[in-house]
Amino acid sequence: MGDDIMSYNGGVALAMKGKECVAIACDKRYGVQTVSERLRFRTNLYELREQRKLKPLVLYNMLTNLLYERRFGPYFVYALVIGLDPKTGETYVFDSDNIGAISDNVNLATVGTASDYIFGLGELFFKPNMNADELFEATSQALLNGVDRDSASGWGAVVYVVEKDKVTVRELKGRQD
Amino acid sequence: MALACTLGFKSNDDFNRSLQSEKTDNHIDEFCPKLNIENIAQFITLPPYADPAQYMKMVNDNVDRIRIQFLKGTTTLAFKFRNGVMVAVDSRATAGGFIASGEVKKVIEINPYLLGTMAGGAADCAFWERVLARHCRIYELRNKEKISVAAASKILANMVFEYRGMGLSMGTMIVGWDKRGPGLYMVSDDGERISDNMFSVGSGSIYAYSILDATYKYEMSTADAIDLARRAIVHAAHRDAASGNIVRIYHMKETGWEKIEEKDTNDYMYQFREDKTMNF
Repeated sequence: MGDDIMSYNGGVALAMKGKECVAIACDKRYGVQTVSERLRFRTNLYELREQRKLKPLVLYNMLTNLLYERRFGPYFVYALVIGLDPKTGETYVFDSDNIGAISDNVNLATVGTASDYIFGLGELFFKPNMNADELFEATSQALLNGVDRDSASGWGAVVYVVEKDKVTVRELKGRQD
Repeated sequence: MALACTLGFKSNDDFNRSLQSEKTDNHIDEFCPKLNIENIAQFITLPPYADPAQYMKMVNDNVDRIRIQFLKGTTTLAFKFRNGVMVAVDSRATAGGFIASGEVKKVIEINPYLLGTMAGGAADCAFWERVLARHCRIYELRNKEKISVAAASKILANMVFEYRGMGLSMGTMIVGWDKRGPGLYMVSDDGERISDNMFSVGSGSIYAYSILDATYKYEMSTADAIDLARRAIVHAAHRDAASGNIVRIYHMKETGWEKIEEKDTNDYMYQFREDKTMNF
């Protein structure tokens, strides 16, 4: 339905779970602007009012709410949310369509124009309870090889690996065509 | 046989039947007739709807939840210079967003002194340039001389003109060297056929043109021409989603064409970034 507008700019993101770590990776086509600004506004207000940091589930519900508010004139974004509870080590990976459909907490989620290709690779590389390094490898390989089959994704990639004590950001060298 | 003929002896075995069947120059076309609008139904199954071009366009967008997207999108270029003609193409075939192949051969080697490029519908280009190759060969056999680039491109243009409005998609460049020197013609599916010193065809042509127009000079050396052609394709591969993967370069000389190289555009992009001629 909104197929062409969603692939106008292109782009893709992938998220995977490990043992007390989560990774999210995306390509570098174009940044998301309005939605991230509005979400940032709401999360800032929450943190000021509640005087505590957001939990992943709360962020996810905020985002899906934000998207559903525009049910009849939706934002042209797909959403992926990942999170890690630093005390319990519980991992969260959620995805959403552009009008805020809620998903379960899944092992693997992909969104974007190359999502089909990345799903296949992700399912192949995923193993339960991976450590941070294995998780990084699996996520990056799935993303990089998947985007090479999609003309609207690519130009390199960024991978964030979230662990209990740190977040590691790595830029991947990908095909530039 | 001559005696038997004189005496009026008519034998009906295979050999004599073949002799009697008047295989003259004009009749060769009965055994491999030329495709034209009247006999088209014998060779190609016609579609069961009135306006193929319109239907194809609809199907490309969406008809009854079916969406067939043809393999299109490319960057091809060719330019004449002091030492002949340089031809460069990418190798990506896309169907909508999906990259169907990164190894398509978009330069069609018609014969050792004629090249054709492929842009638009892959099937259309490959098929009709093969039919063109056949016509060129028959011309050679009949006339004992190589066909000129002007004639070859005219044959192709006339063939596709018969199918004008039926939804063919073809933007090809015919490159060759004949007794008038280097030849470069652009032929497209609406029957357009023009000659010039430089062309680029395909979705990535806009990017290629910028690079070409910036540094093209007729008096370039061969090495500079190869470099220019390569850079134009690499820049187009970077910016155009539907172009990329491998760059192939051919050089058309008086002795015929020579394949210069077949390398990955991505490796060149990182190389150009190193020597600061490209930014990303």
